[in-house]
Amino acid sequence: MTAERVLALATLLGGALFLIQALALPYGSAARPGAGFFPTLVAVFACAIGFVATVRAFLVAPRTASQRAMPLPPEPRSRVIVAVVLLLAFCAFLPWIGYPLAAAGFVALLLRRLGASSQAAALTAVLSAAGSYYLFAFLLDVPLPRGPW
Amino acid sequence: MGPLEGLAYGFAVALTPTNLLACFVGVLVGTVVGVLPGIGPVGAMALLLPSTFALHPATALIMLAGIYYGAMYGGSTTSILVNVPGEAGSVVTLLDGYQMTRKGRAGAALAVAAVGSFVAGTVGVIGIMFAASWLADVAVRFGPPEYFAITLGGMLLLSRLSSTSLTHAFVLVAVGLAVGTVGMDPVSALRRFTFGSVQLAQGVELVPVIMGLYGVAEVLILAEEGAVRAHVASVRLRELLPTRAEWQRSAAPIARGSVVGFLTGLIPGPAAVLSTFIAYALEKRVSKTPEKFGTGMIEGVAAPESANNGATAGAMVPLLSLGIPFSPATAILLGALVIHGLQPGPLMISQRPEIFWGFVASMYIGNFLLLILNLPLVGVFVSVLRLPQHVLATLVLLLCLVGAYSLNNSLLDLWILVIFGVFGYALRKLRVDPSPLVVALVLGPMMEKTLRQSLFITRGSIVDLLSRPLTAVILAVPVAVLIGPPLLRLLRRRGRPAEVGAA
Repeated sequence: MTAERVLALATLLGGALFLIQALALPYGSAARPGAGFFPTLVAVFACAIGFVATVRAFLVAPRTASQRAMPLPPEPRSRVIVAVVLLLAFCAFLPWIGYPLAAAGFVALLLRRLGASSQAAALTAVLSAAGSYYLFAFLLDVPLPRGPW
Repeated sequence: MGPLEGLAYGFAVALTPTNLLACFVGVLVGTVVGVLPGIGPVGAMALLLPSTFALHPATALIMLAGIYYGAMYGGSTTSILVNVPGEAGSVVTLLDGYQMTRKGRAGAALAVAAVGSFVAGTVGVIGIMFAASWLADVAVRFGPPEYFAITLGGMLLLSRLSSTSLTHAFVLVAVGLAVGTVGMDPVSALRRFTFGSVQLAQGVELVPVIMGLYGVAEVLILAEEGAVRAHVASVRLRELLPTRAEWQRSAAPIARGSVVGFLTGLIPGPAAVLSTFIAYALEKRVSKTPEKFGTGMIEGVAAPESANNGATAGAMVPLLSLGIPFSPATAILLGALVIHGLQPGPLMISQRPEIFWGFVASMYIGNFLLLILNLPLVGVFVSVLRLPQHVLATLVLLLCLVGAYSLNNSLLDLWILVIFGVFGYALRKLRVDPSPLVVALVLGPMMEKTLRQSLFITRGSIVDLLSRPLTAVILAVPVAVLIGPPLLRLLRRRGRPAEVGAA
């Protein structure tokens, strides 16, 4: 399935789910709109646009959609996937291992995957983690998680 | 306070050592950001927003705006020298700019681009002085229905004018509006779509969304390429002087580009990009040798480079006078003001003149700083491109992560950053411009509030709301822009068989 079709279906499905949630809120009346009034309008709009986008993606413009979908070669795709996985891992591990270690690990692993040598990746990781920790935790007074240490 | 008196007061504010330093740092960072392909001004502004929390609001605004218009300057450098636009507003410049480099006239192209940007910045500042004051005077009379019409009209115009298809733009508007409803209801304080999360009750923070859509997404694109170094042409200082003929040919395009840019900046949409295309097309139309455009015509550099800087200034008018941002960059500036407890709008000029006039004067100083910085230091800025892309990408990602966390010391902001980063990457692969989402997210809560207030005033009558004279006028323009082109196409299609039949 092309990305175009995924986007269209996701909009339609997301709009429908949002509508269900919005209808659970107090709607009020036209003269005294409640908390659910605006979200309901937005959800109806999202469903309508999702429907139009789905029709276009499946019936009207399938050729355009297939032209747009440019499959990424395996190597660049794996670099992006690794970057996203490392981003998610950073978010998940930050409260447990603290900022300095999470940052150093993130930089070292990503640089290594993007083609840097082991020494360069390790050196950049230590310097960037220490530098950013000093900048944010000491100079800007941001309480960054320190982990169990 | 009149415009000239206000500007004098503004210079007194902007020339304090702190504000001067903030302006210098802003334009310097902006130029570097503009030079680097992949990291746009919006991502850089979002990235540096947390570092401005400790500053005075005027100082923060001066620095962030400096990044914005500094990036417009810097973007031209890579377009001209490397045939790679530093940011979207410099795409058109490479058509003739790079051809000039191939002919050995890179220095002249860079000098004309810098002078054109300076002139446009100056024209823009004069425009802001008068247009923002005038609009603010008018806007004092606006009520909720007019503000609702402006937000709705702005979104419709942006959707039509963005570089995306109308369907895609509307999908993004829907997503932005939906995300904007998360959190506490502004009237009843009821929690909406928070799923029990205390942090979500405060709503979805704008900055991680922008950092994700512009910063993380752009870096993921860079990550696709792995370890790459750009090949950069070198420029000597003595080559920077354009010939007398080149100056003469550039004067009128700079003037036209400045005005076109400023006026385009007033319209909701990707003004900095749009203005360059309009200015380039205009130059081609008025030129006696339009066929030579694309072969290294200096007019093709002068006009778009002036236009993108003029548009940057024009985009400040609705932000400063109405408190309504129509682009992601001005949305960040609004976010910065709100974080500092200020609400831009018609009353800000009279109630906080040091912010408004200090900001306007700083733009003039910033443009002057850019002129004296850019020409002699062009070699230094270009050498930034020699930094390996994979190192740059990794460091920017780390700064995005720590920057997003530092906003509220919240893990939720980190997750939002990553989610919108992946979403932004997908949009880029589909060649969809994410700006309708950002603008809808910013304008959504304002739209909801003004719609509910308006319906309360009109006792629930949509007809009464839309038939108010000012509301009708404000909405007529975007509606005409939205339905005009398809209507014309339909009429032409209907006319064609009749013509064929008659023939």
